Amino acid sequence: MKKLRLFAAEELALALRSRWTQIFALVFAALSAAVAGAGYVLSGGQGVQDFARTAVSLVQLVVLLVPLTALVIGVLSLAPERGAAELIYSQPVPRRTVLLGKLLGLFQALAAAQAMGFGAAGLLVYSQAGSEGVGGFVLLVLASLLTTAIFLGLAALLATGAVGRKRTRALALALVVWFVAVVLLDLAALGIASVLPSGPASRVLMVAAIVNPVGAVRTGALLGIEGTGAFGAASLALFRFTRGAGGVGVVLGASVLFWLVVPTLFALRRLRRADV
Amino acid sequence: MSASRMRAVLLALPLAGMAAGQDMAPILPAALEGRPPAADTSPLQARVDAAAPGSTVEVEAGEYHGDLVVDRPLRLVGRGRPKLVGSGHGSVVRIRADGVTVEGFDIDGVRAGDLSRDSSGVHVAADDVVLRDLSIEEAIFGIYLLRADRAAVERCRIRGIPGRAPGEKGSGIHAYDLTGFRFLRNEITEVRDGLYLQNASQGEVRGNSARDVRYGLHYMFSDDNVFEDNVFENGAAGTAIMYSERIVFRRNTFLRNRGFASVGLLFQGCDDVLAEDNLLADNARGVFIEGSHRIVVRRNVIAGSDVAIVLYDPSGGHRFEGNSFVGNRTPLELVARHTDTTFAGNYWSDNREPDLDGDGRSDRPYRLSTVFDHLRGNLTAADILSDSLAAQAVGAAERAFPVLRVVPATDPSPLARPPQLPGVPPAGGPGGGPRPLGIAASLALGLAGAIVLARGRRPSSAAPSCGSGAAA
Repeated sequence: MKKLRLFAAEELALALRSRWTQIFALVFAALSAAVAGAGYVLSGGQGVQDFARTAVSLVQLVVLLVPLTALVIGVLSLAPERGAAELIYSQPVPRRTVLLGKLLGLFQALAAAQAMGFGAAGLLVYSQAGSEGVGGFVLLVLASLLTTAIFLGLAALLATGAVGRKRTRALALALVVWFVAVVLLDLAALGIASVLPSGPASRVLMVAAIVNPVGAVRTGALLGIEGTGAFGAASLALFRFTRGAGGVGVVLGASVLFWLVVPTLFALRRLRRADV
Repeated sequence: MSASRMRAVLLALPLAGMAAGQDMAPILPAALEGRPPAADTSPLQARVDAAAPGSTVEVEAGEYHGDLVVDRPLRLVGRGRPKLVGSGHGSVVRIRADGVTVEGFDIDGVRAGDLSRDSSGVHVAADDVVLRDLSIEEAIFGIYLLRADRAAVERCRIRGIPGRAPGEKGSGIHAYDLTGFRFLRNEITEVRDGLYLQNASQGEVRGNSARDVRYGLHYMFSDDNVFEDNVFENGAAGTAIMYSERIVFRRNTFLRNRGFASVGLLFQGCDDVLAEDNLLADNARGVFIEGSHRIVVRRNVIAGSDVAIVLYDPSGGHRFEGNSFVGNRTPLELVARHTDTTFAGNYWSDNREPDLDGDGRSDRPYRLSTVFDHLRGNLTAADILSDSLAAQAVGAAERAFPVLRVVPATDPSPLARPPQLPGVPPAGGPGGGPRPLGIAASLALGLAGAIVLARGRRPSSAAPSCGSGAAA
């Protein structure tokens, strides 16, 4: 446990000193503040934009930017150079501890970077007139943290496959994974749905929104923040598909849990078998 | 309205109900209540019966149990807010003589009575009646106006029966078959329909609010009415205007009508309606128009709807001018192959066309649809992905390479910036203002992040101690 914490602390320190994390923190803060500010400006000063609508835009920002950063920073930090890998893994520490510690450190660094952004956005939203509580805000932060953890796990899976090999390949793969999760899966689902009759098409869309980690986080966050108004009539279609609001929670939770745990487990297995 | 036209329209009602997704059948009045039995009669009855017509009866503070019939022209004035507690077997105050004024009472309907016999806080079946400064609670109907021409209801507060299903409640103000009415600055909550108007014409409805109801405004066969500065908020079904002509809506607020089939403002079978300077925000659907003619919607703010406009009419001659459409999920759902509705000089917040010549208008027409709307039209579930990047990518691609025949509706001169609409009421929600809890949470979060990040900036204090100099 102490070793785990040591590795986490080391990784955190490295990540915080990395230009990538610093750039991400700045960009994320600027964009969140811009989204939160624009919400008010776009409404023509009519004051109808309250947190629910701003949160939708912030969720969009999260599911776009956070997976990308987690994957890129994760792969860059977790797939070390040949010499460094040999050095680390020759230490009297289980490989599992090394990887988990590094993941923990990275998570802390990225969470800190995001916290700055959310803090700025929250200040802008909550200092304006409105009636929303902080529940939606908490949910948004939670969604962001879950996305970070999920995609760090995926980054670990990619990085452990690249031990001893070139990091560029893992990095390219990371970009492919991001594109598939954020755009391609939904696009494919929409394409397939548009040629199917409405019953099966509906199911294809629901499944796409649940199975895809990005979709699951987005759907869960928006439903939590906006209630059934989140997707209009489609919310109710989703409720029927999963047999009630509780069903939606269970299904989305299961999907998120799967993506949290399974890639990391595979990464650990791969690392154990890897010939460093 | 002629009887034959009403009959024709009544035949069409089941259809209308289907379209609105709610039961919309007209509600016919029950037989008129007479005098209550002695055991249910208010102690004030003797004073009312003894008063000379045209005189003023002043009632001092206190509780008066029982129902009261006013059948001679009187001014009944409460001093120090006396409370009239109903018997629970019918309407608490029954006004049966022309020219009665009732003001300054609290009226308690004791959560009892009979919906099918129109049990009300105040039941009026006479002309030229004035109801002022009444507070009516827990009655089935708040105020029932039956053939009460020139009735005036002012500054009354009506609160229905909380927790009871809408089907077991009556309206806040129920107006049936009258002309020349005035409803001013009343506040209505927790009833079935806030204002129910049927065959109620040439009236003015100004400064009222209806919140937490089924229909904020439920309205049919009522012509030449003016609605100004009213608030219809949090209705399970929104507002519905049906089979009526020459109605004006000005500076009203239609807010948070979020039920499954809720509409901010629904017009069905209506002609020559003007809606201007209204705020329609956060409704499931903003404006809904079916089977109507010459609906003019101008200078309104229509914001935060799932669908801003639902339009059924190929040839209604409707006009949308100078409105501000902000943050709606989709601008138009057209349930027809084409429409002659014109859109001109509106602002659309999702319009990304530039204004290079600086004339305040986008350089190209705004098309009221995306390819995603096309998919959504065939498949409700598509909305589940409507916030995804994929949906936006499809939309962008379609704009670049138009392949589908999409909704044939465009705004040829869209505004490049949101217009100043000083007439539109602001959406100051309850509890509006900065929220300290949110600010504190944001500050804590930002600070925590900043502290952790700052630690990384100082290499000495965060020196790694595990011995490996990995990737330093």
